[in-house]
Amino acid sequence: MLIKYAGVVIIMIWGIVFPAILLGLSKLFHPNNPTPTKLSTYECGLETQGETWVQFKISYFMYALIFVAFDVETIFLYPWAVRFQSLGLFGIVEMFIFMAILIVGFWYAWKEGALEWM
Amino acid sequence: MDANYSLMAIEIATALLAIGVLIIGLLVPKEQRYGLGYLVTIGLTGIFFLTFAFYGTNTKLFGGMYIVDDFSIFFKQIFLAAGILVTLAATLYVKKIGANYGEFFVMMVFATLGMMVLSSAGDFITLYLGLETMTITFYILAGFKKGDSKSAEAGVKYLILGAMSSAVLLYGLSLIYGMTGTVIVQDVAALITAGGGMQPALIVGLVFLVAGFGFKISAVPFQMWSPDVYEGAPTPVTAFLAVGSKAAAFAALIRFFLIAFPDYQAEWKVLFAALAALTIIVGNLVAIPQTNIKRMLAYSSIAQAGYIMTGVVAADAAGIKGVAFYLMLYVFATVGAFTVVMNFSSNTGSDEIKDYAGLAQRSPLMAAVLLVCLLSMAGIPPLAGFAGKIFLFSSIVSQGYLWLVIVGLVMSMASVYYYLSVAKVMYMADPTDNTPIVVPVGAKATLLLTMGITVFLGVYPEPLSVLATIASKALFMIN
Repeated sequence: MLIKYAGVVIIMIWGIVFPAILLGLSKLFHPNNPTPTKLSTYECGLETQGETWVQFKISYFMYALIFVAFDVETIFLYPWAVRFQSLGLFGIVEMFIFMAILIVGFWYAWKEGALEWM
Repeated sequence: MDANYSLMAIEIATALLAIGVLIIGLLVPKEQRYGLGYLVTIGLTGIFFLTFAFYGTNTKLFGGMYIVDDFSIFFKQIFLAAGILVTLAATLYVKKIGANYGEFFVMMVFATLGMMVLSSAGDFITLYLGLETMTITFYILAGFKKGDSKSAEAGVKYLILGAMSSAVLLYGLSLIYGMTGTVIVQDVAALITAGGGMQPALIVGLVFLVAGFGFKISAVPFQMWSPDVYEGAPTPVTAFLAVGSKAAAFAALIRFFLIAFPDYQAEWKVLFAALAALTIIVGNLVAIPQTNIKRMLAYSSIAQAGYIMTGVVAADAAGIKGVAFYLMLYVFATVGAFTVVMNFSSNTGSDEIKDYAGLAQRSPLMAAVLLVCLLSMAGIPPLAGFAGKIFLFSSIVSQGYLWLVIVGLVMSMASVYYYLSVAKVMYMADPTDNTPIVVPVGAKATLLLTMGITVFLGVYPEPLSVLATIASKALFMIN
C-alpha cells in the first residue's frame, strides 16, 4: 500500500537534489570577480539606516485586519453569486445576514476610531 | 436548505445577543455603557432557561454536521451557567481595568457561542470552527488589560501555544480524514472497520488528537501554558477560561473518542488512564508550593482535569454522567473561588496567598465562599465535589482501574493540604490591615449563588444527577 506513495518521496528527493545540482554547476562555470557594489543587498529596497528593530504604527495592523475581513467576504460572495439562481430567496436572506454581521463589525471599527490615522 | 433552523435557536439567540450588545455599545456614549454587563447577564439567563425547552430533541442537522442532543444541551447549560456567574461578578472589575467596557462582555458572549458550537459539533470542520471561535476570543480576553505586561504576556503566550495545539489537532484530524475519507464523526467508526481496522497512520492521528485536546483541557504534559495564562489574564477571564474552555474541550473530546473510535477503546483508554494519573499527581503536587493564589488555582484546575478524565477512561454512560456532573459543579466551585480572588485583588491589588491573612475578619462572606469552594474541589463531604468524585471513581472501579482510583484518592488527600493552608491563613492569621473589604452587589450575588449551589448539590445531588444521566444516555442514543 505504501508503494503508492513512492512517487511523492521521489519528487521530494528530486526537489532537494535538483537545485543542488544547478547551484553546483553554476558555481563551477561562472566567472568570479566580486566587487562591493555587486555584493550589496539590492533586491529588497534600500539599505537600512540605523536600528532595524523599530516600533511601527499599530494602525497598519488595524487596516490589515479590516482588509482581511472584506477579503474573506468577497471570497464567500463569489461562489454565492455563481449559484445564486438555484439558491433562491434563502440564498439572498442568508447572504444579507452574513453581510449585516460584517457591516456591524466594520461600523464598530469605524466608530471606535480604527480607521483614524493618528 | 430544508433544515429546521429553530433547532439552532440557542446559538442564534447567543449570536444575536452578542451583536446586539455590540450595537448598543456603539449607540450609547462611553460613560453610560456600564449597564451592558448586566444586560449580558440577563440575556444569558434568558437563553439558559430557553435551553430547557430543547431537552429530548436529539436530532442531527445538515447531514450530521451539527448535533442537537441532550448531551450538548447539558454542556450548553454548563457554559451558560459559567457565563452568567462570571459576567455578574465582573462588572465592577472590568470597569476598573478601564479598557473598552462593552467589548469585554461581547467577547464573553462570543466565547460562549464558540463553546456551544464545539459541544454540538458533529464533524471535523464544525468542531474546528467552534474551537477557534472560542480560543480566538480568549486570546483577546487574556490580553485585555491594556498596559499590563503580565496580561499581554498571557495573551501572547496563549496565542502562540494555542496556535501550536490547533496545528497538532488539525494534523490529527487530517490524518483521520485521509484514512477514512469522511469528516462526519459518526461515519468514522464504520469506515475504519471497512478500511481494514486500525492502520498505523490512524494511531498517529489518534495520538495527535489526544495531544490537541489535552492542551485545551490542560492535561499534563500539555499544561505548561495554563499557570502563566491564568495568572496574567484578568481574573474574570481566568475563571471563564478555567471552566468554559475546559468543559467545551471535554464535550468535543468525549463525542469524538466515544463515537468515532468505539471499537478501539483498548488503544486510547490506556493513553487516557496514564494521562489522567499523571495530571492528577503533577497538578496536585505542584500546587502545594505556590504562593500566588491564581497560580495555585491554576494547578488545582489542572488536577481537576485529571479527575474528570477518569470519567473518559470509563467510556460508558456512567463515566460520562460523572464527567457531566463534575463539570457542572466545578463551574460553581471555580467561579466562586475566582470571584473572591477578583474582588480581593481589586480591593487590595494583591494575589499573594500571604495577603489573605485574616480575610475572615475583613470579609466573612468572601472567606466562607473561598473555603466552601476549595473544600468542594478537594472533595470533602457534604459538598458537591464529594458527590462528583463518587460518580467519577465508581464508574472506573468496576472496569479494573482500581489503581487510578487509589491515585485519585491519595492525591485528593494531598490537595486538602494546600486548600486548607489557604483556609488557615484566612481564619487563623491576624490581618495586617484591618479595613473591611467591600463586596459589590453583582459579585455578592455570584458569591452567594456559588456557595449555595455547591452546598445544595452536595446535600441533594439528585436533580443534577438525573439531568447528567439523561445527557450521558443521549450521547450513545443518537448513533
